[in-house]
Amino acid sequence: MELSPIQPLVNGGLIILTAAILAVIGQRFRVPSILTYLLAGILLGPLLAWVKIDASLALISELGIALLLFLVGIELSFAKIKDLSRVAILLGGLQIPLTAASGFILASLVGFDWLDAIFLGATVTFSSTVVVMKLLDEKGATNRLYARVAIALFLAQDIVIILALTAMSGIDASNEISWLSILTDLAFAFTGMALLLGFVLIAARYGLPKPFAWAARSSDTVFIWALSWCFIVVFLAHKFHLSVEIGAFLAGIAIAQLPVHEDLHRRLHPLMTLFIAIFLVTLGIKTDITQLVHLWPQVLLFTAFVLLVKPLIIFVILMYQKFNQETAFHAAIAGGQVSEFAFILLALASSAHLIDSQTLALGSFVGIASIAGSAYLIIYSEKIYQWLDQRGFFRAIPEHTASEFAESQPLEQHVIVIGMNALGRKLVHALEQRGESVVAIDTDPNKLKGLGDAETLIGQVEYPSVLEQVAYRQAKLVVSALQIEETNQLVAYRCRSVNVPCAIHAFDHSQIEQLLQLDVDYLITPAIDAVAIQRTLFTQSTS
Amino acid sequence: MDWIAYVLITAAVAFGIAKKLRLPSIPILVLAGMGLQVLTQKFGISMPASGLQEVIELGLAVLVFTAGIDLTPQKIRSEGRSVILVASCQFFGLGLASLITARLLNYDWMTSLYLASALSASSTLVCIKQLQIRRQRFEPHGRLTTSILLLQDVAIILLLVMLHKLPQGNADALLSVAYSLGVGLIALGLHQWILPWMTTRLKLDDETLMLSSLALLFAFSGLTYLLGLPYLVGAFYAGFALASFPISGLIRGQLQSLSSFFLALFFICIGLSVQPPSSTMLAHSLIFILLLIVVTIPLVSIVAEVVGYSTRSSVETALLLTQTSEFSLLIAATGVASGHISAELFSMITLITISTMALTPLLAQENVAWRLMRLHPRFRRGEKACQQMTNHAVLLGYGRAGKETLRLLEEKNIPAIVIDEDAAVVKQLLDRNIHALQADGSSLRALKLANCPAARFVICSMRRTRDALAALEYLKTSPAQVLVRTFESNEVAMVQAAGGTPIPLADAALEKFLTWFSSQQHSQHKSSLSPIERVPKKSDA
Repeated sequence: MELSPIQPLVNGGLIILTAAILAVIGQRFRVPSILTYLLAGILLGPLLAWVKIDASLALISELGIALLLFLVGIELSFAKIKDLSRVAILLGGLQIPLTAASGFILASLVGFDWLDAIFLGATVTFSSTVVVMKLLDEKGATNRLYARVAIALFLAQDIVIILALTAMSGIDASNEISWLSILTDLAFAFTGMALLLGFVLIAARYGLPKPFAWAARSSDTVFIWALSWCFIVVFLAHKFHLSVEIGAFLAGIAIAQLPVHEDLHRRLHPLMTLFIAIFLVTLGIKTDITQLVHLWPQVLLFTAFVLLVKPLIIFVILMYQKFNQETAFHAAIAGGQVSEFAFILLALASSAHLIDSQTLALGSFVGIASIAGSAYLIIYSEKIYQWLDQRGFFRAIPEHTASEFAESQPLEQHVIVIGMNALGRKLVHALEQRGESVVAIDTDPNKLKGLGDAETLIGQVEYPSVLEQVAYRQAKLVVSALQIEETNQLVAYRCRSVNVPCAIHAFDHSQIEQLLQLDVDYLITPAIDAVAIQRTLFTQSTS
Repeated sequence: MDWIAYVLITAAVAFGIAKKLRLPSIPILVLAGMGLQVLTQKFGISMPASGLQEVIELGLAVLVFTAGIDLTPQKIRSEGRSVILVASCQFFGLGLASLITARLLNYDWMTSLYLASALSASSTLVCIKQLQIRRQRFEPHGRLTTSILLLQDVAIILLLVMLHKLPQGNADALLSVAYSLGVGLIALGLHQWILPWMTTRLKLDDETLMLSSLALLFAFSGLTYLLGLPYLVGAFYAGFALASFPISGLIRGQLQSLSSFFLALFFICIGLSVQPPSSTMLAHSLIFILLLIVVTIPLVSIVAEVVGYSTRSSVETALLLTQTSEFSLLIAATGVASGHISAELFSMITLITISTMALTPLLAQENVAWRLMRLHPRFRRGEKACQQMTNHAVLLGYGRAGKETLRLLEEKNIPAIVIDEDAAVVKQLLDRNIHALQADGSSLRALKLANCPAARFVICSMRRTRDALAALEYLKTSPAQVLVRTFESNEVAMVQAAGGTPIPLADAALEKFLTWFSSQQHSQHKSSLSPIERVPKKSDA
């Protein structure tokens, strides 16, 4: 065993360093990270030629894509599918064919052959869940109605992407393409997909719940089990000649039906983020920027299509579905960029020799430009809407108030209690009795049972998304009953940062000073408070 | 990608077995890796050597880095001289014992020096993980262990750098130490001033924060590599640079997944790479493992108690530190690369490191600590006086609130006896002229020695309710009022049924909290009370 850094480590280091530097700079100018990663790749590859793609980077990229699809699957609980299905079917059912057809016509008019035009049509059709959710999260708008509408659209798009990927698995371009062989391969791929879907649904219903419930208390065990489940299904998908992405997605759907799916999503997210960042940088490395000299008119044209025509299509459909103008406008703006899946789809098509390098480069450039443009449109969508409204742009459009698509009631003025030990449970019950709206958080699903009307969330508060999910910025009070000093300090710090009052369990004297420095509003000190009871008892007894 | 799937599935099986058998995961992961090695050889499945090597290297870097994040010099500052004393005694004591043993086993001087260096420090990775699992990071022994580890890591890094450059001459070795100290100073500067300032100033989102942290890992590893130092030195310094609050707290959640992922992969890959040692090497490994246990536990326990820690803290620290460091692997690899030690000796050091790491969760258990504490010489001073006391109070267990309870009893002019198993605690009390008995509070002998039946109050602060119930059973016919601190709701009923008076900690805290909460509800502005007025101060007790 030698322990000196080897080339893949050096390559990985360069990628992460460059991506991080650009991401930090990018954040100052509200440039989405996906864009900074692609730029980092262009810098390291075509411009400086410091990094070349090797087997290790290819493996990490593949892991990143698998994890991304796994996480998309984990989002799709049956309850969520049911909740969003109507909007998803209507909106997705119209937007996808309309945009794809428009994109196909545009590409054909520009002069691409039919196969390239199909892939360019597909590229401009799908929107990026990752980019949009990240931006909406930054805006604090994830609970808004337009965010739910956008999610419904992306859900429909994800399902179509999976079907497209399945179709891609069925097309073996190394052989001469004939309709019969394509149809046979597609039939084999879709049969495999159906069998695998059946397998994961049976596993989700009968195989996985008990083992995962048993392992729920051990976070490392659940985490590694989920990952290995993903790879088992990927392995099976491989046996059916399906892609890694499909296997990972189906594995995710099975996990989505388990109570721990949200917690697992949060745990897997950082791992996916890292690997997908490396994937995006490698995409940038592979980008042939010399093509931009010849392709810039097409890039501008397709980017304008994605930023303007695609949102317009979504807006019209939503108005037809009787959403109000503002919701339709913001949801439409949210859909105006190219998805990260488009990169995957184009990369697969390129490796299968279905498209040429020019189409791949065009897709990548349009992706980069549209994500950059869309980020700013989403961030400033409220201002843009007001500006357009003041100038009478929406006057000719009839206004609707669709009762069935009401804004969800966001959590506000609630009390968050973290840690369902004896103290935490008592706090929840007592606060509930006082008529407070309470949200209880714990890592153990069993400890969250029997808490009356309190809302519950399985999760570890070290992950910032846990607190964000329970809208801690809008909370009346955050209480930590945990006996973990570092977590308590972190909760106090986060609450202070957003000026939300907090009460923290100081279970030992040594913590009092540090918590006071963090300016907590109240220290819960059972050991000291119990002495007060003793004092009363001693006094009663001696008198 | 198939081989990653095999490794992950093996890790999943290992975690399942570890959970089922309630065993620590690290040894099971290594064993599972060895099992996978047998299976892959049997079925002719190829595992790419370069892939495994990359996972081991990247895994080790990430694990050293994440362990470094948990080390803060503030903890050393608060403990001061005592920490330096305990850390030095263990480092040099164990190093010396290993050196002598290696010479006795006929190893040459250079090999003995490498062995001594490899065995002298403990593993930050294992100790921190163990403390996190047991949620004892901030117990006194958790703080002591963390501080010792930080000092030892710095010492072993300097030693490693020196050994690394020794073949190129003394001047080069000294220059490398200077470089290492220089990089350490940069890390200290980042830790102390630059990163905390940047964290509050830049307000990076989670994704950028995680990526920036990893960028720091690669930047430091790259810097140390360019300076001709081992890259793991950089990984450690990068972790240390990020160890200050709030940045350590903000990135911990993000890096936890990475750490868990690489922990599983790393130990499975180690299992896959381990070669079976010869019988002589196996025997020598066993000797060194025994030496490590026999020297570390008494040495650290005694020194820590001498410098003022309680017996329990001292013993728990000693048990936690009974393993060799992840840096031992690096020292051994350096020795092989410079031709100072053989490849077989490298395997032996790897075997010792893995075995002792695997043993730690078995040794560092509360019941082992309690058993060892009973070997401590007893302080019997004042036992007779205790037997003659009447109308007094008896504290069964000093615990967290012992000091406050004693102060309260003194205020009420009630004489008190403390019964505690911790010899150091009892000695400190006896030195302050407080009646104290070194015994198990649930034993009848102790209750008789403290003349509990004639006491006015018996206050149980013992962790296990069954210990309190044993005392209640003994005292059920006595007039003494037995107060029992209860932690869980079901314990209240149990204590009441046994004739005791429960002091429910959660209820006590809840009542005060609700009073505060109501006052907040009534006041229109939160800022109407200053923070100091709002929190119960330490001195209030």
